[in-house]
Amino acid sequence: MASNPVMELEIWKGEWGLPSVDVNCLEVMTYAKFSGTPLKTKITNNPFKTPHGSLPVFQHENECLTKFGEISAYLRKNNHTADFELSPKQCAEAFAYSHLIYEKLVPALQFVWWIDSKNFVEFTRPLYAKLLPFPLNFYYPGQYEKHAKQLAMSLYPEEEDLSVIETAVYRQADECLCLLATKLGEKEFFFGQSPSSLDAVVFAHLAPLLKAPLPSAALQNHLKACTNLTRFVGRVLQRYFPKEIKDHEQAERKPTRQESEYSDPEFPNKLRNISIAALVSLVAMTAYAMSTGIIQVVPADEGEED
Amino acid sequence: MDNRKKNILSRNKIHTQMSEAGAYTVTTLEPWPSDVKLYQPYEVEQILLQDQANSLAVQVFLRMCGLEFQVEMRSNAEHMSPSGKLPFIKCGAFVVADLDPIVSFIANKGINLTDHLDAAQKADMRAYMSLANNILGNAELYISWCDENVLNEVTCPRYGSVYSWPLNTLLTWRKQKQVTKKLTALGWITKTLDEVYEDVDHCCNALSERLGNHLYFFNDRCTELDAVVFGHVFTLLTTPLPDNRLASIVRSYPNLVEACQFLEKAFFQKPTAKTTDDDGDNFN
Repeated sequence: MASNPVMELEIWKGEWGLPSVDVNCLEVMTYAKFSGTPLKTKITNNPFKTPHGSLPVFQHENECLTKFGEISAYLRKNNHTADFELSPKQCAEAFAYSHLIYEKLVPALQFVWWIDSKNFVEFTRPLYAKLLPFPLNFYYPGQYEKHAKQLAMSLYPEEEDLSVIETAVYRQADECLCLLATKLGEKEFFFGQSPSSLDAVVFAHLAPLLKAPLPSAALQNHLKACTNLTRFVGRVLQRYFPKEIKDHEQAERKPTRQESEYSDPEFPNKLRNISIAALVSLVAMTAYAMSTGIIQVVPADEGEED
Repeated sequence: MDNRKKNILSRNKIHTQMSEAGAYTVTTLEPWPSDVKLYQPYEVEQILLQDQANSLAVQVFLRMCGLEFQVEMRSNAEHMSPSGKLPFIKCGAFVVADLDPIVSFIANKGINLTDHLDAAQKADMRAYMSLANNILGNAELYISWCDENVLNEVTCPRYGSVYSWPLNTLLTWRKQKQVTKKLTALGWITKTLDEVYEDVDHCCNALSERLGNHLYFFNDRCTELDAVVFGHVFTLLTTPLPDNRLASIVRSYPNLVEACQFLEKAFFQKPTAKTTDDDGDNFN
């Protein structure tokens, strides 16, 4: 791979006033903002050519990394870290809480996004189908759903009833949200005035859950009830991603135009498609008529020769 | 007294609604029966790293609560467990598997170790428990089932030891597939062995920072976290493997080792709880 002097991150596109719809992309982007890393983001929405078939992909010089742990370690090696104000004990705490999220909240997020059938059919699949380029949009949403199901099955190997797994997973997530709310309290960030890696992890996992317009929103409502967490998400967005918020607000401010465009989002080129269909059928009918002899074309010069 | 009982009863109802799926469904406020049994695979010839760690954690937790129990070793313990997780306890009519459900089951009886913690400390404790289970537990699974050396020399012979010929290969193969699937879903399968060792080192470092020069993690009194960490640390230190790097990583944090030795002395070498003969031998 060609060396790349600028740190570059390939990501999923953002929606709902967030810089990206994907938890893992958000995690890296937020951490980069917190640590002051000059990171150039590139919206590709295409996991096809990536090393593990997933976004984000971080590229710098000859490095190509995909996991948050690896990327944050790499940034730390290059003197970009969000944690240098923390004591060793606080670092340990940040590490422990991020694993609390990975163990208890991530399975629930996967469930909300990909396994809950209402959300999957009405929200997640259309979202990713819209983001992904043409042939891939038939492939990846199914893959992600499969992956989420495998996670749920492997965590509860003896359980076959999805609704039982759902209850267990949501209960764990609720507990995790309560613990995070307790930990945050009324502080600005988890460890006082300045954000740390834990803040990046928490923000990345909570923001999509809070902002996405989910049809089935049990866990979302629980998060909304933890008001200090929702304020925390708003605070991080305001301070570190003001541009996305502004763009989102501008888009909201033009609802009439949006509405007319939005009226038929599935068929943006309706007129063109209708005329193509009409043309094709016209050609087919003419060809049929000619081949059966209903219409006969007599070449003009044939008559002259006679 | 009656009032208190009522309080506990109503609390039980809430707890039970939130109880682990499939573990148990009825409220109880019976005293701790004397014939409680903890089931696990055979310790000397069969049990694997992660099950051993979890089993020790539950044993030391029960002893911390001052509850009596007997360890029963069964070759098919894994298939007896209601959720497939080990170890599990049989208490009267209830069969409860895994540490977390057992902790809440015992909390239903009005016994817990976390009364001396405030809300923030409780949150910290849950976070460190997740850390230990997530990293050390998965690292133990990874080492047992994904490292060729350990798989061939330790895991396969041990896991299959209780079955005769065609069954030992078949069941080991099936279990390996199941574990691989789990580690794939959790994203561990793409890690290299060195990355796993690095993770374990990070995790031990974090635990050691939290412990400082105390013997217990919180307020110089025991909590579930002490039990969990004891289970993992003791297992990693005492289990012979072809490559003992895990043990040497843990040993480089002397305060963890010291706390582990202290707990072993306090809870396993004192005749506080009745144990079966098999059990007594293993901690001397």
